[in-house]
Amino acid sequence: MESNGGSTSRRAAAERIRRAIALINAVADEAGDEEITPTEIAEAIRDCLELSEVDRAPNVRRYLGEALDAVSDGMPADFVAMTLYAALGALREGA
Amino acid sequence: MVIEHMPERHSASVVLMFAGGSRLEDERLAGVSHFIEHLYFKGTERRPSSKEIADAIEGVGGFINASTDKELTAYWARVPSEHMDLGLDVLFDIVANSRLDPADVERERMVILEELRMYQDQPQDYVQNLFEELIWPDHPLGRDIAGTEESVSRLNREDILEYADAHYRLPNLVIGAAGSLDEERTVVEVRQSLSLRSGLNGTTPALSPAQLTSPRVLVRRRDTEQAHICLGARALSYMHPDRHALDLLNTVLGEGMSSRLFLNIRERLGLAYDVHSFTQKHRDTGYVGVYIGVDPKKAVDAVNAVMGELRSLTESEIAPEELARAKEFTKGRLRLELETTNGVAFWLTYQELLLGGIKTIDEELALVEAVTSADVKRVADDVLSAPLQMAVIGPFARDSAFRLAIGA
Repeated sequence: MESNGGSTSRRAAAERIRRAIALINAVADEAGDEEITPTEIAEAIRDCLELSEVDRAPNVRRYLGEALDAVSDGMPADFVAMTLYAALGALREGA
Repeated sequence: MVIEHMPERHSASVVLMFAGGSRLEDERLAGVSHFIEHLYFKGTERRPSSKEIADAIEGVGGFINASTDKELTAYWARVPSEHMDLGLDVLFDIVANSRLDPADVERERMVILEELRMYQDQPQDYVQNLFEELIWPDHPLGRDIAGTEESVSRLNREDILEYADAHYRLPNLVIGAAGSLDEERTVVEVRQSLSLRSGLNGTTPALSPAQLTSPRVLVRRRDTEQAHICLGARALSYMHPDRHALDLLNTVLGEGMSSRLFLNIRERLGLAYDVHSFTQKHRDTGYVGVYIGVDPKKAVDAVNAVMGELRSLTESEIAPEELARAKEFTKGRLRLELETTNGVAFWLTYQELLLGGIKTIDEELALVEAVTSADVKRVADDVLSAPLQMAVIGPFARDSAFRLAIGA
């Protein structure tokens, strides 16, 4: 049986991944007045990796790692978003 | 020859089905069966143009067509029953007396090359071709039935004549007829009018594909609005005793709007607009596959969700009511397929040619009815433990996330 703490931290992890996706989507849509840099996106992904919850479901950490690599390699924003959505889905699967 | 008398119908259908198809073609001859099928509608000695062939059948309100598959090529006509002799006459004429005029060969080559290029512009179809390349690598089953641009450009009239002479012979042919027809008269007409040669000469046996040892991903980068994905595994042949259990597994998984994939991936998670599963069966091999049409950003997430559905088929038996629904779906589809004289003619001919014997519809329905949930789980355990293969078309710069999704 899962404790409330587990589901709370999973929600927190999901929230951080969504925040990273929102940043990426803003880049993809060229929205907002301020330019979002790859460093900010990488930072948002690293924030996700800091949570221990990402190790409790299979492949979440690996998708986040792939997303981080994709940012470093200058991959298109949609591609990074896809990898983050995969991490979010893997987190949901592990619930 | 197989005949089904259906006296209550107003039409009769006849199918000439030849063993062969693209599976028997080596790389040099890839696409020749399909090429011949096109050419046979271009003209005979008695009906020198495609218009005269079409006019003969359409002049009585009938239909005539043909199709090339991996293990067979079929020519068929459906006519008002009083014109059955005409249907037979035209079909016999095109398979035995086609002129294969050099100018027609060149014109049709251009048509087929355009057809091949058109497929590449239809990612929903093209991704299935790529998937089949992964399922049967370096094997004719993994090639497009129409061949490749290289092979079609290279095929010459001599290749075509040689292949047609080797394969369009009596031992390779089953004739099926169904509808309101006089059986004795039909048999006499066939004996008198069909002038194909007997005895086989120059045909090669079909080789089985090699085992697949590892999961693989093939990504074709295209700036498409949607991602198109096919994933699946080698499965059972049409000779396998568990083939009906596989069909029911496929129905539960992804056929129709009450399937698990549709309800969970599309309706509950909203991940994909189009998601369904399908099977293909051949003499010694087959596959079960899933197609996903999805927003590129959700592509890997959708693949993971499909993987979850595949896993669930191996984790527990399907519920009795779900199995009962799948059986009714399968039995109903088969009955609907056999509503037309054409459907019956194809059903009989296909069985006789490929299975070597004919089951009645009641015998076939009984086999479907006999499948248990344990049978479906056993087939799922067997088939879904094989290495998964996945083809992807979409705006993707690399394949690492897809490989992670299927463990490749």
